[in-house]
Amino acid sequence: MTWRIASQLALSGLSVGSIYAIVALSLAIPFKASRVLNFAQGELVTLGAYIALVLTSYGLPYAVMVPATLLIAAASGLLIERLVVRPIIGAPEFTLVIATFALGLIIRALIRIHWQDNVFFLPAPYAGPALAVGPLRVNPSYLVIIASTGILTALLVLFFQRTKLGKAMRAVSFDPTAARMMGIRVNTVFGSAWALSAAIGALAGLLLAPVIGINPELGHLIIKALIAAVIGGFGSLGGAIFGGLLLGVLETYTGALFGAALKEIIPFAILIAILLVRPQGLWGATPARV
Amino acid sequence: MLGANKLFLAVATGLVLAAAPGAAHAAEQGVTADSIAIGAFGPITGPAAYIGLAGRDGAAMAIKEINAAGGINGRKLNMTFEDDGHSPARALAAVKKLVDDDKVFVLFNVAGSNGTIGTIDYVKEKGIVMYVSFASAPGVTWPFAKNLFRGGTTEVPRYGELYAEYIVDGMKAKRIGILSGREEYPKNEGDALTRHLQSWYGIAPVKRAEFNIGDKDFTPQILGLQEANPQVIAFFGNPAEAAIALRQARELGLNKPFFVGTTMVDQGFLNAAGPVAEGVSGFALIPLLPDSSDPAMKAWHAKWSADYPNLPPNRPNIFDVLAYSDMYVLAEAMRHAGNDLTTASLINALENLHDYRVGPIATPRTFTKINHIGNLRLQPMQVKHGEWVQVPWESKRPSDILQRYH
Amino acid sequence: MRAHRIIIVIVAAFAVAVPILGSSYQIYLVELILINIVAAIGLNLLTGNCGQISLCHASLMAIGAYTTALLTTRFAITYALALPAGVFVTTLLGASLGYPARRLSGLYLALVTLGFLEVVSIAIEEFSDLTGGVRGLKLEKPELAGFPLHTAGLYYFVLAVAIIAIRAGLGLRHSRYGRAFDAVRQSVIVAQALAIPPGRTKLLAFSIAAAFAGLAGGLFTAVVGFIDPTEFDISASLRQITFIAVGGLGSVWGSVIGSVILTLLPEALRGADEYSDVLYGAILLAALVLAPTGIVGLFAPVFRRLGGGKAQLS
Repeated sequence: MTWRIASQLALSGLSVGSIYAIVALSLAIPFKASRVLNFAQGELVTLGAYIALVLTSYGLPYAVMVPATLLIAAASGLLIERLVVRPIIGAPEFTLVIATFALGLIIRALIRIHWQDNVFFLPAPYAGPALAVGPLRVNPSYLVIIASTGILTALLVLFFQRTKLGKAMRAVSFDPTAARMMGIRVNTVFGSAWALSAAIGALAGLLLAPVIGINPELGHLIIKALIAAVIGGFGSLGGAIFGGLLLGVLETYTGALFGAALKEIIPFAILIAILLVRPQGLWGATPARV
Repeated sequence: MLGANKLFLAVATGLVLAAAPGAAHAAEQGVTADSIAIGAFGPITGPAAYIGLAGRDGAAMAIKEINAAGGINGRKLNMTFEDDGHSPARALAAVKKLVDDDKVFVLFNVAGSNGTIGTIDYVKEKGIVMYVSFASAPGVTWPFAKNLFRGGTTEVPRYGELYAEYIVDGMKAKRIGILSGREEYPKNEGDALTRHLQSWYGIAPVKRAEFNIGDKDFTPQILGLQEANPQVIAFFGNPAEAAIALRQARELGLNKPFFVGTTMVDQGFLNAAGPVAEGVSGFALIPLLPDSSDPAMKAWHAKWSADYPNLPPNRPNIFDVLAYSDMYVLAEAMRHAGNDLTTASLINALENLHDYRVGPIATPRTFTKINHIGNLRLQPMQVKHGEWVQVPWESKRPSDILQRYH
Repeated sequence: MRAHRIIIVIVAAFAVAVPILGSSYQIYLVELILINIVAAIGLNLLTGNCGQISLCHASLMAIGAYTTALLTTRFAITYALALPAGVFVTTLLGASLGYPARRLSGLYLALVTLGFLEVVSIAIEEFSDLTGGVRGLKLEKPELAGFPLHTAGLYYFVLAVAIIAIRAGLGLRHSRYGRAFDAVRQSVIVAQALAIPPGRTKLLAFSIAAAFAGLAGGLFTAVVGFIDPTEFDISASLRQITFIAVGGLGSVWGSVIGSVILTLLPEALRGADEYSDVLYGAILLAALVLAPTGIVGLFAPVFRRLGGGKAQLS
């Protein structure tokens, strides 16, 4: 393997890893805010992407379309929390997980009926031909993804450490009963957490749309995102990013060296290995011993 | 108690059969004096819905036209459509319902390959005719079964023959790289091409790279292909993957012409890929794509839009056209079978169909007593100025497939 | 107690009458329901009773299905031997999940099972010479001691197996193993205090669930006659979880009820054409909101009054 090929693989690996990173980030938020494994998070990414598609088709300029998408997505998140999550909040954990699965199914089916399985590549002002870095090439969209993910993470860290709502979310995810006793409006916090998750999912969808295209099965990325979150450690935002990038690079090298079959297996091999050896990942909190 | 029920049923059935009009023998299931029941199934939910929905809508439009023109020998066609969700277990449920509960006369299959293969044993057992429009799995026509017919898509080995001939003779390439998805249809196309490059031309692909469904990055495969220095790259997968792979290939400096599988030869791929699609070639399942400016297709498209005004982008797609044309083939055979319409007379009529097609929007269908593959032709096309246009190239080598029917 | 018995008799009479009065479609549907019942009982023992999350139940069913299928198709072994062999192989592989279950729970355990599911799926696709890969595997009609199992014969066989499975599920549920499962679910520490070894209990739970899944998979090959990897993917696992969530976690009859309703629901929704998925999701959501502890939980008070003494519907 030549130096050029090895470097190009690394660069492409980081590029595809940035996709995993941003979806992993959108997955880490609901977990950090309410300890819930949200099976509909993938569909929230898809939903956000299609909201962006609709707004773009109405001719909205990019700078207006982005915040509008995030707002509509956040509102959807609030609506979902109010209508679907709150009524089952007392039920066994499984019930909520299955409810999110049912919700995801509905969203996907509705999108499919209206847009079928056509794939759309959203135009973006930064999308363009590949940039040359010596003999290497990188598509600028990936740079935007990774930059956005980094900035977003920094903002979120500040949010969780410094703001009242952020601290309330952490308290609620740690122990909802105690949080309620301390005067925190738990329902409001849950609503905000879902709104935030939906908005970040939508942002991920937005950023992915120009480069990998959107179709109803976009939510499938959630599986890779889960693995990325496990590598980095649930609850650690920076970990989610690192996990995503690392996964992208490992996948790409495996594909080049060993072919597509092993490339498909390697993420799950890593997943199982990490869970058996160090389930909290690189930066997560140690899970309670069983 | 059960015995009395059975006796009653037997007597009732006997009365009904005796009352059947013009019946020298028992009336065929699904055929009455003024109607013919057609059972159709395919995926209308799930990721393959664009296939089944188009199959259903195209077939329904044909039926509407045929009925408006008086039906078939005075009988109106009624279609019952069932979803199979692209699952073999559900496909079997759909077929059992159509045959046993809805009592249809003939099955019109717009499902995928796996769903189709899962129903074959049952259909063979029941003896009812199943006309397969889309599925390309060889199991439909080999081993040979009297009541199974294949219409629109041809058999997988035929793809291999045509692709190999076009790439070697038409594109004049000896060094061929193949990039295929590890999914049933793309894998079949890739394997068939490899096999026929070897058996017909003694060439092996300089590189065969694979990717997984849902892959978003093709850098390892493209770099590998680059190293092998091909003259043509054959790509088999989905339009979304093709668009990304093409773009990345150009970014990484792999500028050789691409040849794509039939799933890419439609408008959806052009929308997804944009300008990088220019110059790409491939075979279409139909002579004219739905967005073609050919007058015959324009007329058909106008009719379709009148019937289905509010549908998603990229409809009608090739499956709409295929199902429409194939329903006309089935109807034509039923017409030739005459008033005494039975499974036997339908099979006979189909086997006597020679070069029939509803118009220039379809490829002709021919069936014989030993060969139920109706179509061996695919239309070569190339993207010119952002549109798929016909390439004036004809296959000159006779198909090996026909040899197995002697 | 009387009402309970009468219901069972009615259902049994119905079940026996199906192949006589029903069309091949109806017989097929009931066979699918019975297969799902077998799978759901196993999953419920593991998840509802023992509290271990499993996202890989469908892939265990796949292992059973492919093992049975390969033995009958490629090695011409009679179905009567291939089916138990499938159960055996699945149980062994399912037991391997007991190891991570010792140390993980909740989300982390769920992810391990997800990893297991994907690895099995990839393995099936990869060894395509053996398994048919993505093109699937078409099967011959099963034979029992030289007699082909066909229509009514096959149906009664599946019915018999399902009844045995229900009996076994009830038996396990009320045995000391069932109590051990419950203890481990409530609290590992309390279980240990009661001298119940949590690690071994979880291992047993995973093995039992795998056995049921393998059995369901073997039956699937006979009833459907064609298998491919997409029948056993993550959505299939999630659907099995819906059976027990809607029917009632921890209850064998809940597994039965949930399987019946949710196997019939997609078929009943056929008239909705392309909207059937939307309706299915909506009905599922409604069921979860209205009956968060499952249908059995809804009717438990009713049965308590009728049963007079049966404090808990098993």
